Amino acid sequence: MAYFMVVLLDDKRLEKIKGTELEDKIQYMFGGELRCLNVEVSEELKDRILKEFETARVDSRGAITDVPVAFMRELFNQVAEKKSLGPEVVEGVLAKIDEIKEMAAKESEFLPPPEID
Amino acid sequence: MSKFIIERPLPHGGRLVERVIRDKEAAKKMIKGCPSYEIKPTLHYETGVPVRNVYREIMSICYGFFSPVEGSMKQAEVERILKERRLLNEWIFPYPLVFDISKEDYQKLGVGAGDRLVLTLKGKPFAILDIEEVWEIDNPEELAHKTFGTPEDNPEVVKEPFNKKHPGWVIYRSLQPIVLAGKYTIINEPKFKPPFDRFWFPPRKCREEFDRRGWRTVINHQTRNVPHVGHEFLMKCAAFTGDVEPCHGILVNAVIGVKRRGDYPDEAIVEGHEAVNLGGYIKPERHLPTIVLWDMRYGNPLESLLHGIIRQNMGCTHHMFGRDHAAVGEYYDKWATQILWTKGIPSYGFPAPPTDVPYGLEIRPQNMREFSYCPTCKEMAYSETCGHKREKLSGSFLRGMVAEGVQPPSIIMRPEVYKVIVKWWKHFGYPFCNEKYVINKEKELEVDLEDL
Repeated sequence: MAYFMVVLLDDKRLEKIKGTELEDKIQYMFGGELRCLNVEVSEELKDRILKEFETARVDSRGAITDVPVAFMRELFNQVAEKKSLGPEVVEGVLAKIDEIKEMAAKESEFLPPPEID
Repeated sequence: MSKFIIERPLPHGGRLVERVIRDKEAAKKMIKGCPSYEIKPTLHYETGVPVRNVYREIMSICYGFFSPVEGSMKQAEVERILKERRLLNEWIFPYPLVFDISKEDYQKLGVGAGDRLVLTLKGKPFAILDIEEVWEIDNPEELAHKTFGTPEDNPEVVKEPFNKKHPGWVIYRSLQPIVLAGKYTIINEPKFKPPFDRFWFPPRKCREEFDRRGWRTVINHQTRNVPHVGHEFLMKCAAFTGDVEPCHGILVNAVIGVKRRGDYPDEAIVEGHEAVNLGGYIKPERHLPTIVLWDMRYGNPLESLLHGIIRQNMGCTHHMFGRDHAAVGEYYDKWATQILWTKGIPSYGFPAPPTDVPYGLEIRPQNMREFSYCPTCKEMAYSETCGHKREKLSGSFLRGMVAEGVQPPSIIMRPEVYKVIVKWWKHFGYPFCNEKYVINKEKELEVDLEDL
């Protein structure tokens, strides 16, 4: 099974990858209502993520989900920095594991709710 | 009357168990002079985090959800369940259910067979346990393995040995050694807190509600999740089964119990399902969200057996089962539940499906595959009929989107359902169950009790 992680792209994030090759790799989901990039994850990296984060799961598509929001934010930062969707992106995130865990500990207490109508 | 008409099945075991005393004076007399014991949560054998509260089993037994079970099981009954998944009265049942206490508490109590023990909850009298037998769990790890199976003993469906990452296995591994076996009777009915109170339909009330609504055929949707549009289509389309016409009703029965971190709060789950009918996506006249108290064991085919029992007792004629039913991790085959209900699993004691064995179930399985979004059809499509490449919906993916503060498109989550998530997010300061929620929930529970 091939594993991957989905990076959602809102307008702000889209701005940061404008003009790079990543633009061509944007995928449109659900009738074009969602834009995203899929980052490759090897078997070994998948195991490391599941080991490091108790809540992490692999869903029916092979996507790794339920990691801390701090992980997902850093995942996008690494994508933008490395201009890549290869396994080096997740390796870059895992290199900051202590920092992410520290932030994750705080976010497990509180996440600001969005303002909706 | 057409020979194809399906009638509502009798409760499992032939009659509904109801062990609730509503006359407070009679209750007071029943407990006079009896020793009492405050119910304690079962704590994880390593971390000390609550993993189960036996009060939920007492509620589900006494209100008849688990009919014909009437109490904490004797040793011979547990052994039979582990071997053949049958009670001593022959009716099929998947799990051991016991009232377990520590050796220290047992010594302090000084009770034995023939004694009546008053069980208190939140300091108030709640139920009685008429002790018929006291027995000891010698090896809780062995009990946990036998409860769920092993790849060697159950090669048809068990893929990996169970371990401490499996929450159901942990419950059995964490049991205290002394079992007080005997019948429970509730003597002081707990009151559900909002929002749970309006979703409480124990089997008798549920059957009466079906009568009131004129529902002859009802299909159940098992849930422990906030519904996305895939769930909604699963419910709508599975309901097209029935007899000479589609099912009259869709019963959503949410399992309320100990939560895992990352799950949605129970409050958001029940109100999220309600939002589906309040938003008109399924008419309220054909849709009824309800709850059952149970600390999930995540036993996939075994759990589906319990679900079949609960929903037959509630009066359902059909039960939908999907992929990875009530499962975590990859311990079981993805389709283990559907294998059980179509072929049986001999190593669990089912050479045939549970509907085709003596003392089995009457509820009809409706095995479903998956719904996902088809960009070609531009709608939610069923995996077995749509011939296009589809985009799979996953609850976990949606959770990630929600956590990042992105409102899911309405094609995958209805805005009314998202509003419910945000409502409870604001209430708890968090969209999902975190440690604080889990601990508080087990401290406060879903119910309160008045003085007797």
